[in-house]
Parts: sequence; structure tokens; C-alpha cells
Amino acid sequence: MIRLFRYRDLIWTLVARDLKVRYRRSAIGFLWTMLQPLLMMVVLTAVFSTLFRFDVPNYPVYALAGIMFWNFFSQSITASMNSLRGNAQLFTKVPVPKEVFPIATVIAGVINLLLALVPLFAILGLTGHPIRPSILFLPVAILLASLFTLGAGLLLSPLAVFFHDIVETVGVLLTLFMYLTPIFYPMSIVPERFVWAVRFNPIRSVLEVFRDPIYYGKIPPASHLTVAIVFTALAVAVGAAAFRKSTDRIPFYV
Amino acid sequence: MSGPPEVIALDDVSVCYRLAKQRIPSLKEYAIHWMKGALAYEQLWALQEVSLSVAPGESVGIVGRNGAGKSTLLKVISRVLKPTRGSADVGGSVAPILELGTGFDHELTGYENIYLNALLLGHTRKEIDEKVDSIIEFSGLEEFILSPVRNYSSGMLARLGFAIATAWVPDVLILDEVLSVGDARFLRRCEAQMQRFQTEGSTLLLASHSVEAVRENCERAIWLERGRVEADGPSGDVLDQYMRFSESG
Repeated sequence: MIRLFRYRDLIWTLVARDLKVRYRRSAIGFLWTMLQPLLMMVVLTAVFSTLFRFDVPNYPVYALAGIMFWNFFSQSITASMNSLRGNAQLFTKVPVPKEVFPIATVIAGVINLLLALVPLFAILGLTGHPIRPSILFLPVAILLASLFTLGAGLLLSPLAVFFHDIVETVGVLLTLFMYLTPIFYPMSIVPERFVWAVRFNPIRSVLEVFRDPIYYGKIPPASHLTVAIVFTALAVAVGAAAFRKSTDRIPFYV
Repeated sequence: MSGPPEVIALDDVSVCYRLAKQRIPSLKEYAIHWMKGALAYEQLWALQEVSLSVAPGESVGIVGRNGAGKSTLLKVISRVLKPTRGSADVGGSVAPILELGTGFDHELTGYENIYLNALLLGHTRKEIDEKVDSIIEFSGLEEFILSPVRNYSSGMLARLGFAIATAWVPDVLILDEVLSVGDARFLRRCEAQMQRFQTEGSTLLLASHSVEAVRENCERAIWLERGRVEADGPSGDVLDQYMRFSESG
């Protein structure tokens, strides 16, 4: 950790580069980060208010909070898996702690998530959704989501170097988890016999902590919060241990 | 206060690569091989039982044929590769220039790469702010510094890399085939810079195909052959042996 603090300027430079590269060839640049979840929200609202009807009051806000969380998580995971392979030119020429690459990737994802808060608050205002003081809990929720994602990224980024198939495998798993996580549907429609699969899904526990202050206007109940914190701590511990164990072998495989 | 007796100490260092075609790239194949207990790789030992020590202020040239292990040795000393066996202790700051385009992002401009590269070397933004003008000046790339480095020639990349790495006096300066691509004028500036560093106590490691470059810049030479130290001593003697070997083989 102390070693990484010395590289904080490098991490910020990598974050800036990630964001710059992402938007370089696009005409409206970072506006996409705000527009994309809104468009997704419109699509989901259209689909689920006509084809399949859920009993979710103010569905657009429910869906938008879920989409924001899922975009952050899935995009950060995918980008983390490419972060070591994509930066091999850098760390095979200069001695540098390789953790900086997945860390910078996840920070860039957090910045995109923060940008997406702008349209979220616009929608909250437009739909007259009550904003309660519990919204002040949101930074804690975002911190938990970031650490959880970082843990997964630290675990997966070296694996993606050792086994190229991991990238495709995780792509499929992300789709599976997108359906196992109540992003665009409410918990109430999950059939009894599948409830356990959704309930014990670690991603769901972190999502609920994120959505509670936005949609329900409440601080997550202590029991939910505890579960999310435990899963986050576990993700960070496993990710950091796996990364440390494999870090010396990475240059031989890129 | 006297410094440590050696700035680089390699003890019985071996480095093993698994050959690319033998590397098992998919999880499925890995699982199959693992279950069969047949996770055997074809191994390439790029360095074998290399022991050497270098005192502060020494200038050491490394010669050897392609594939003899020169670059691997410099990567170990740069702390980019950890030896498979043995131990490598390198004291102080290391400025490595390993191959061309060292630590550059080819989509970024020269100016942005000065920051990226120097940050990778462990400098802070503030330290770089103070040096950026002199780096550009030394590289002689004023006109091109705002162009992406993918448009740079190999000579320009080498000049920029050298200018960044030598903006701070390192304890160990490592050059891998860098001098071979610069033009004569830049080469003279590099050599002047290296001599200045030597008077300030830096250690120089230089790998080159050019026996002349080693003879001119290094008092000591190490000849690597198939990953082992074939000869180590005053550069005149070692280079003579190496040249006799090259001509006979």
C-alpha cells in the first residue's frame, strides 16, 4: 500500500489516459457516459411497461440505478482483464508495481459512474422521486461497489494473462449474473425455487446497498450492509492475495 | 559515509521461459493436462547460474550472440523479471532503457509520454515538471514533441527514452542496444552524459552487439554464451576472446 501511494501520480495519469482513449474518436465524448444509461432506461421501461409488466412504482428510477451499477461493474471487470495485457509494453520495460493497471481501470470506471449520477438526478427530479437525506449514504455505497469490483478485477486480470479463454468465459458469466441480479426486475417476480440463487449472489448484495439510498430513500438495513461488507472484504482479500501470488510470473506470459 | 561494496549482486541466477508453443493457453487444456498430471513444459533457460557483482561506479558491457541472455540479464537487473532461481539484489535507483520505445504508449504524444514514462520510473509529477523542458531540449525533439510517438522513428524513440531516463542521475543506468539507433551527434551527447554520470558515481550497464561501443564506454565486459557467463574481466581481454570466438564460429 505504501509503495502504491508513491505511484499515485502514475495512477491518475493512467486514469486520465483510459478516459481520453475511450472518448477520443467519439463526437460527443463523455456525454455518452450519461446518455447510454438513459437510453437503456428508456428501452427497459418501454419493454417492461408493455410486454412484461412488473409492479414497480417509478420503474425508470429503479431500472436506471440498476443499469448504472451493472455498467460500472461489468465494464470495469472487462477492462481490468485487458489492463495487464494491454499495458505489457509498459511493465516489461520498466519496473513498476503491476497493481496500478487494474486499479487505474477501476478508478476510471468510478469516474464514469459518478458522471452517470448527473442524468440519474435529472430523472429523479423529472419523475418527482423523493430525495431523502439517506442519499448522503451514496458515497459509502459507491466505495463498497468500487472495492468489490477492484477485488474481482485483481483476481481476474492476472488470470486473463495466463489463460486467454478467461475473457470469453467471464463474458458469458457476466450475462448469467446480469439475469441473476435484480437489475431490471424486482425481487418479487423471482420464482420461489430460484430465490436462493438471487439472494446469495454477492453482486446483488452490493447492488442493493447502492440502490437503497437512491430508489427507496433509505440507508440499507444493517443485515444487508453487513453481508455486502463481508462480500467486499472477501473480494478484496482474495483478489489482492491472488494478484500478489502471481505478479512475478506475469511478465513471462504477456 | 561509505556506500555498500556492491550495487548489483546476482547470486546463482537462473531464468526459465516456457516456450510459447508449449504454453497452454486455454483453461480447458490446462485442466486436462493438470488432471493427467502432464503439466510438463518445454523449458528454455535464458540464464543459468549467473553470479556476478558490480561495484558502484563501474561500467560494464555485456556482449554475446542473439539469444545469449543479454536482454534477460538486463531485465533481471532492472527488476522487471524476477529470477526463477537464485537472488538478485540491486541497490538504489535504476534507469532502464530496455529495447526501443521503452515504456511508451504509442497513442500518446511525446510530451505525454515524458510524464507517463518518468512516472513509471517512480518519479512524481512535481519532479517531472521541473525537468520536462530539459528533457525535451536534450532529446532534440522540440518540433515533434506534441505528435503521437507512433509517428516517431526508432532513433527518435531512443533519443526520447534516453533523455527521460538520464534526466535524473540514477544509481544504475541500463542500456540495451540503445546506442545503435541514434545518429552520430546524439551518440556523442549520450556518451558525454554517461561519462558525467560515471564521475557522479553511477553504475553503467550496456548491452550491445557492437564490440566497439563496449570497448569505448566500458572498463569491464561480460560475455554471455547460452545463458552462462563465458568470461568476465577487463573489457579489452574479454572482447578479444569474444571476437576470436565469433570469428571462429
